[in-house]
Amino acid sequence: MIAAFNSTSQIMRQVIVALILGIGAAYTFFGWGIIVQIVLAVLVAIVVEAGFLKIRKHPIKPSIADGSAVLTGFLLAISIPSIAPWWVIVVGVSFAIIFGKQLYGGLGNNPFNPAMLGYAFLLISYPLQMTTWAGEFVNFSQALDVIFNLNPVDALSGATRLDDVKTQLALGKMMSELNAHSNAQAWINMGFLLGGLYLLARRVIFWHIPSAFLLGIAVSAFLLSIGGSEYYLPVQNHLMLGGTMLGAFFIATDPVTASTTPKGRLIYGFLMGVLVVVIRSFGGYPDGVAFAVLLMNIMVPLIDYYTQPKVFGK
Amino acid sequence: MASYTFKGGIHIPNPYPVKEPEVRQVAPPEQAVLLLQQRVGGEASPCVKIGDRVLTGQVIAKTTSKYPTHVHASVSGVISAIEKRPIPHPSGIEAMCIVIDSDGKDEWIEIEKCDKDFSRCTPEKVIQRIREAGIVGMGGAGFPTHAKISNAQGTHTLIVNATECEPGIMCDDALMQHYPREVIRGAEVLMHACGAKKAIIAIEDDKQEACNSLLMYNFNDQIDVVQIPTKYTSGAEKLLIKTLLDIEIPAGEFASDHGVLCQNIGTVKAIYDAVIDNKPLISRIVTVTGSAVQEPRNYEARLGTSFAAVVAQSNPNNNPHHIRMGGMMMGIDVPNVEHSICKITNCIFVNNVIPAPEVQSCIRCGQCNTVCPVGLLPQQLFWYAKSENTDRAMDYNLGACIECRCCDVVCPSHIPLAQYFFFAKALHHKRTVDQQRTDMARERFEFKEFRIERNKKERAEMMAKKKEELKKKMAQDKTQKDKIAQAAARVKNKESSER
Amino acid sequence: MLESVLIFSVLALALGLILGYAAIKFKVVGNPVVDQIDSILPQTQCGQCDFAGCRPYAEAIAKGEAQINQCPPGGQEGVDALAELLGVETLPLNEEFGENKTDHVVYVDEQVCIGCTLCIQACPVDAFVGSSKVMTTVIADECTGCDLCIPVCPVDCIHIEELPTTLSNYVPNLQEVGRG
Repeated sequence: MIAAFNSTSQIMRQVIVALILGIGAAYTFFGWGIIVQIVLAVLVAIVVEAGFLKIRKHPIKPSIADGSAVLTGFLLAISIPSIAPWWVIVVGVSFAIIFGKQLYGGLGNNPFNPAMLGYAFLLISYPLQMTTWAGEFVNFSQALDVIFNLNPVDALSGATRLDDVKTQLALGKMMSELNAHSNAQAWINMGFLLGGLYLLARRVIFWHIPSAFLLGIAVSAFLLSIGGSEYYLPVQNHLMLGGTMLGAFFIATDPVTASTTPKGRLIYGFLMGVLVVVIRSFGGYPDGVAFAVLLMNIMVPLIDYYTQPKVFGK
Repeated sequence: MASYTFKGGIHIPNPYPVKEPEVRQVAPPEQAVLLLQQRVGGEASPCVKIGDRVLTGQVIAKTTSKYPTHVHASVSGVISAIEKRPIPHPSGIEAMCIVIDSDGKDEWIEIEKCDKDFSRCTPEKVIQRIREAGIVGMGGAGFPTHAKISNAQGTHTLIVNATECEPGIMCDDALMQHYPREVIRGAEVLMHACGAKKAIIAIEDDKQEACNSLLMYNFNDQIDVVQIPTKYTSGAEKLLIKTLLDIEIPAGEFASDHGVLCQNIGTVKAIYDAVIDNKPLISRIVTVTGSAVQEPRNYEARLGTSFAAVVAQSNPNNNPHHIRMGGMMMGIDVPNVEHSICKITNCIFVNNVIPAPEVQSCIRCGQCNTVCPVGLLPQQLFWYAKSENTDRAMDYNLGACIECRCCDVVCPSHIPLAQYFFFAKALHHKRTVDQQRTDMARERFEFKEFRIERNKKERAEMMAKKKEELKKKMAQDKTQKDKIAQAAARVKNKESSER
Repeated sequence: MLESVLIFSVLALALGLILGYAAIKFKVVGNPVVDQIDSILPQTQCGQCDFAGCRPYAEAIAKGEAQINQCPPGGQEGVDALAELLGVETLPLNEEFGENKTDHVVYVDEQVCIGCTLCIQACPVDAFVGSSKVMTTVIADECTGCDLCIPVCPVDCIHIEELPTTLSNYVPNLQEVGRG
């Protein structure tokens, strides 16, 4: 019989491959931290998933082989600060796998994006560690030192551009007064954008969600900037800073938790983009991608119900 | 001619292409096993017994019900058995078959040369001839043709389905190249039988020679030979009607409700044989192909020939085989080659056994939604079918599913979606029937209680009435007795006063 | 302080009035739960649940006097449906009340029947045709397979006939479907 065009593990593998460019950009600017976090995250993810599958009396090998736990590890490790202590990623990944996936019945049954659930949990529980970002290139030994708390390390941290802009705006400065900062985040976003386009070309993901998401961000940012361009970030900044591109192509497109109908996906992506801008501009947290994703995950059954395609003949 | 299109469907390249679809004649079998079970309606009843000698084309099973058709002997010989044998169906159940041991002579019954100008017969007569010839839909569905045409009086367009959209099957392709004249004439017969003024013969555009062959022999300007884009499920009746006429027929309605009659081209040729040559349906063209045969080919074989006889001629290899009756998409797996060719066997796939890919969890990727030609959400239907929630599945239009398996093919988790839908439909049907029986039982029970109460009441009333009457009678008696006593007393008094 | 007491009293009065009105206007006549339970029960009227029929059993369940797993003809599917209707935990079918036998009907061996009509009286759905001293037969379409007629027949001429799997009632096994 004909083989299917793709298999689940192939899909997951392609997604991981597409992340490499963005990870490479992050490494270039901020060093080994992110690599260490990824390795740690993947190991913990596999161990926790295997452990839980054993408790559930489920066959272990096929579920690990499909690569979804590994992908969750990757995404969470990329989202958190690269110099966060080791226990942050361990707790985060464990929470994501256990509460975001296994307790619901494993792959395919979870309503919330596990990586984002883990991120939100970490952000709320450990706000200090989750907002201490690397400010400069961190070499391998420094990375090990700061992550595993081996030796005391000189100040390595700095704010992200998005953080920085937000703080400065909050302090009352105008957009035009802000000093130029390194555009590391823009390059990282570019890396993820290219990775995302690769996935589109290979038909691993479809155009609906990323374009709707970016459109949602662009439209709301544009409307805000008309309202008061001195007080709000311009559109291109929203698009190239923070977790925008990672969110657009790798997180929002998670098929298990996204809307399934074509029209539904457009609505899902668009509203998510709007939420991101709203949380960034009016909310207390610097980046809104995680919360926007989780909020839209809740809306998915409603969206799916009302956007069913027309059945032949009806 | 402009053709419309339908959303969904997939492009599947022909896995075993042949340069030229030839048709090889297969000798009549030594033993013919003929099925009495029709796809729709019940079984025909045998009108011969074991030991009878029958001739080719003789009626051996008859029926008077609306749907089933007669069954004819496909070889001449002696009836050696009338017994239950396994039939090609996923349930593996057995059904009645008639087995004829051939005498090798292939002696036909007397065929009366009929009036060749069918246009002078009434449509009813033509339909009767089609019924007596035992013709059913030969594209695989097996619906009795006479019933379909009877319901389609008032058709404006006849569509001859020569699309052969399932990859690998080439029997219709060969039919068009070898019997074009018969096919065109058969279409004319059909037009007369249903009253259509226009006919369209639809062919996929990858069959250019077949199209040319028909064009060469078509001199009737009421018949159009049209090419449509090659895409799997373009041959499904309702989707074909959408492609040609831009009419969408919902589930539950029929093409005949919209003035369209659709017939497979193999059926059309069988109609020609029946009406023009008065020959019953006793043979058909079968494609044998697959990864395990070295010479894929079409065979014209008598009904009742075993699969093994035709498969052997295609030079199968010695590996273990996986046999499928019908196409690679909508066919039925059968356990071995001991089954026999019946009226709906259009293809036999013989494949090397390959390990089935492991079924993983659904990741809700939505690829199945994009390919469904009927606009369903296979993913939702899957969740409901799996949890046996047939009511919700029907809400999501499970009834409209044509089980084309487009969704199966694209699923990255290799979930056998169409099998889940078949299961859910069967379960829903069973529950509906059970519910009707339960409701009927409740009604009968309540009526029985009512009847017993009523009987009791009637008895009580009758007893009360009887008692009343008896009392009255007794009272009357008492009055009588008093009168007699008074009279007697008077007489006594009189007597005593006289003394 | 006085304002808050006043406000809450007024609120309580208003809400009480609304609730009272709703209780009268939307009052449900009869006990629909009993009807709903009865519509799930298989109507075999066999009495295996220890009640006089399906409706008495439904009433008992509604009153809380019976468990939901006492009906063998309904099978585990029936117990689960009742559990879902009533919003309670499902229970395994209680085999003490009988086994869940496969779908079957009964038939009369006409050579042996003596026309005593005991079976006609026993059948809860009047699925027999017959009369005194006249041969009796079963209307197969009406028979629910409750088997109440089998023990009363004095000559033991009523037998069980399993319903065969046909093309129209075949349901594939879900576990096998899932294996692909």
